[in-house]
Amino acid sequence: IGDLLDRASQRSDKMHSLSTQLTQEMDTHFPPYGRMQMQRPAECHTSTLQTPNDKEQALQVSNSDLMSLVRSLLQAWVDPLVILSNSAITLPHPAKSSISSKIQELQEHSKSLADGLDILSGKMGPAAQATSSLPYTGGTDLGQDRVTILNKFGFLLSCLRRDSHKIDSFLKVLRCRAVKLQPELC
Amino acid sequence: APPGKPTLTSCRSPEKETFTCWWEPGSDGGLPTTHALYYRKENSETVYECPDYKTAGENSCFFSKNDTSIWVNYNITVVATNVLGRTFSDPVDIDVVYIVMPNPPEEVRVSVTQNTDWPFLRVSWEPPKKADTRSGWITLIYEVRIQLENEDEWEVHPAGQQKVFNIFSPRSGGTYQVQVRCKPDHGFWSEWSPSTYVKVPEYF
Ligand code: NA
Ligand code: NA
Ligand code: NA
Repeated sequence: IGDLLDRASQRSDKMHSLSTQLTQEMDTHFPPYGRMQMQRPAECHTSTLQTPNDKEQALQVSNSDLMSLVRSLLQAWVDPLVILSNSAITLPHPAKSSISSKIQELQEHSKSLADGLDILSGKMGPAAQATSSLPYTGGTDLGQDRVTILNKFGFLLSCLRRDSHKIDSFLKVLRCRAVKLQPELC
Repeated sequence: APPGKPTLTSCRSPEKETFTCWWEPGSDGGLPTTHALYYRKENSETVYECPDYKTAGENSCFFSKNDTSIWVNYNITVVATNVLGRTFSDPVDIDVVYIVMPNPPEEVRVSVTQNTDWPFLRVSWEPPKKADTRSGWITLIYEVRIQLENEDEWEVHPAGQQKVFNIFSPRSGGTYQVQVRCKPDHGFWSEWSPSTYVKVPEYF
């Protein structure tokens, strides 16, 4: 299990790095358009999921429950990643092809991470296999005008960046619990 | 005149558990001026004042574990006040997970090991005490750099997550200066640790 978690956290690490690069790439060319003036346009579609928000809380969560949170978050991004991927192709942004290929890469990592965790959670028992459903209800269209599209795209990416950081953090805590006998890793 | 506009210069967390923000006051207009930091957390209307102006020194605000949440944006503003009025800084939005910069590695040791024909340098260190790497809450990678006495160039070696690094073929009779720094998986490099020195015996 230590080995599987090690590989899983390498993927989640990569996913978070990609989402960070994506948000930076968006902002380099178009500094957050009115995003400052606007209230955060909405809450992330995953915000109803109760997750720990500091170390003390996180370290109290059981292995199964951490695994369940990770899998719920991954599942919640399957549909929005399709929307991001489709929108990226025609994004009114000079870096759209680089953005588009990074999103595809993210999708691939997300898919193989989810597959790996299906196997892993199967070994951990029913509580780890339970997931919460977090449907994305924002519609498949990001809008008509350039500013709206860029804002919505940027907002989704900022949610993805946060959620991929949660996924990565929880998996790395799980990894260290699993490799307690190899302290050189943690 | 009312006070000049203060600037929030940076916010940093050494371990993903607490954080500090610093500001620079604007001109004081020749009048006694006080500064206060206010913050509002994402999706809440409540405005709080800085919980601790003392711990991190002048022009700073320290957020203890109890005052720190992650994966939540803090909207932060500094307000300068004198008898003639108040001036607000530009607000800054931060999520603690994106401002992590650890303290440098500690207990950096260098020894000359000679269990082969040629000696090599063995550098070892510990993570900064504040960073809880044991639980996996923070994951650190390291970089070692060495400099031969009287040379200008540093030689930099990535060490990954290891806390020990061997450097082969040191110069016979040379004195080396060694430093180590660390970076969280997603965050900023620490400062370099204070220098540790080692003298390689003459082995020719
Ligand atoms: Na202070
Ligand atoms: Na806290
Ligand atoms: Na570590």
